Amino acid sequence: MTFRGSLLAAALAAAAAVSPAAAQDAAKGAVLAEERGCGSCHGAQGVAAQAPMPSLAGQPAEFITLQMILFRERLREAPPMNDLSQGLDDTQIEDLAAHYAALPPGPPPDKGQADAAKAREGEALAAKLNCGVCHLPTYAGRAQIPRVAGQREDYLVHALTQYRDGTRRGSDTNMNAVMYGVTDAQIAALAHHLAQR
Amino acid sequence: MTFRLSATIGLAAALALPPALAAAQQAPPAPAWQQGRPDSMAASPLAPHAPRMTVTAPDRIPVASLKVPEGFKVELWAHGAPGARMMAEGPNGTVFVGSRTIGRVYAISEEGGQRRVRTLAQQLKQPNGIAVRDGNLYVIAINQVFRYDGIEGKLDNPGQPTDLTAAFNLPTEEHHGWKFAAFSPDGRLTMNVGVPCNVCEFDRDRFATIVSFRPDGSDRRIEAKGIRNSVGFDWHPRTRELWATNNGRDWAGNETPNDTLHRIRRPGEDHGFPFCVGSWNDPAVPQRECSEFVQPAAELGPHVAALGARFYTGTMFPEQYRNQLFIARRGSWNREKLSGYDVVVAKIGADGNVAGIEPFLTGFRDDSNNGFNGRPVDVMQRRDGSLLVSDEQNGAIYRISRQ
Repeated sequence: MTFRGSLLAAALAAAAAVSPAAAQDAAKGAVLAEERGCGSCHGAQGVAAQAPMPSLAGQPAEFITLQMILFRERLREAPPMNDLSQGLDDTQIEDLAAHYAALPPGPPPDKGQADAAKAREGEALAAKLNCGVCHLPTYAGRAQIPRVAGQREDYLVHALTQYRDGTRRGSDTNMNAVMYGVTDAQIAALAHHLAQR
Repeated sequence: MTFRLSATIGLAAALALPPALAAAQQAPPAPAWQQGRPDSMAASPLAPHAPRMTVTAPDRIPVASLKVPEGFKVELWAHGAPGARMMAEGPNGTVFVGSRTIGRVYAISEEGGQRRVRTLAQQLKQPNGIAVRDGNLYVIAINQVFRYDGIEGKLDNPGQPTDLTAAFNLPTEEHHGWKFAAFSPDGRLTMNVGVPCNVCEFDRDRFATIVSFRPDGSDRRIEAKGIRNSVGFDWHPRTRELWATNNGRDWAGNETPNDTLHRIRRPGEDHGFPFCVGSWNDPAVPQRECSEFVQPAAELGPHVAALGARFYTGTMFPEQYRNQLFIARRGSWNREKLSGYDVVVAKIGADGNVAGIEPFLTGFRDDSNNGFNGRPVDVMQRRDGSLLVSDEQNGAIYRISRQ
């Protein structure tokens, strides 16, 4: 038995949790981000200006929330975030997530020059690895799946290498499987392609 | 809502169990949920729905959209327990609740007509297995087994549990390694050991089994084999036969195979996984005659994730529900059109055969947009005859009673 492709795409576009939006307050999240000094690494407007920090502006709120809970509960070890997330309650985490989700994504100030050949190699690899299926063709991400378009290139290399080496997991092992056997050079190309988007 | 709740979540680390052993593993060749997926579906967007691990405020819990049969009512009984799954009740009425991703065990007690949620333990690896015997709480987190003696006398400071992990010697495989646990009528701690893949070759005396032990972990016995992953079972109140739900495999089509209900009359019988589900020969494995195996007692629908299952023995519900099996269907992901997301009743006749599967609690699934607003995982009858239903997506527990 096989799925019917056309139906599949239509069905999946709609299949989603419709639990009412969480009680998020981006304004409270902004105050909290200021108090906690999140911007010193992730940038005042959520666009990180230093290696290898991830930009958070425009990330799906569900992605940020899930990762923050994993940090706080020490279910994902990622110093210094495990310590920095202590004392935040669920609502505060959702507020922070709403704040960063609402900020406009953008390239880091120190974004490097595009290398056309490297970007093409990364684009071909991204197509082969089906990155756009989960992260969407725009790489804007959705739900628990992060935005990777315009992310810092050094952070992407760091994260993809961790997935490849099995030192980081998502909410499942999907990224580990996707990155299995991908070489350092290929990771560099992939990161360049995504960072230039 | 007419009641107020106080939730005590995220207790100090002093109350936590030692962190589960985080075995650093090599990058696996494929995540378990993708195994068995044909190459033609490599670009399929079907994937498990993301867990929700934050508190859902009561005014955002969809209790108003839930439906029960005429003469029943459903209300929000407790909230503030993110990831709430399997339930067990202590002698003094405390409801213990396990979870998966968030790694917590909750204790919910009634204080002055309100419910109080405590986090008893945290940082465990998928502590889904929860059972109570003689006032002692058993928690099973993949292969780890902990016993908290006299737990209801020390809810605020449970201390270190007795570690029975070595005695039980359970497999450490994480995929389908989360447990459903319950004590049999003759006092044996019984649990599933699911298959550590979607469909694969494996030791059939070790995985895809339901096994039982003495409470100290000795005297292991296979109750049933060839059951892919049972996350819900109970013993018939009269016949004492074991009835178990089972999750069918993924990526074999929208309508194939069914999740199943199994009637286990004799310990050790073979129910057919990975070869057969009823009369369906799985083409992914060597072909066998399906008549070799015990046939399912009922089909529960493709990909519905039939989980917690308990017989109703109370007197609050009408006679027609006595000794009938309530089953929570958490809801599908490996199917284009969502299915499940409800609680059904398997109507078992005097002859011991299933006469039908009837809806009981609905309203979590919205077919107009192929979406859902909750995921029921377990059912549990309380001593007053009411039925509790846990909702993992909302960290909530509902109470169903007669109007």
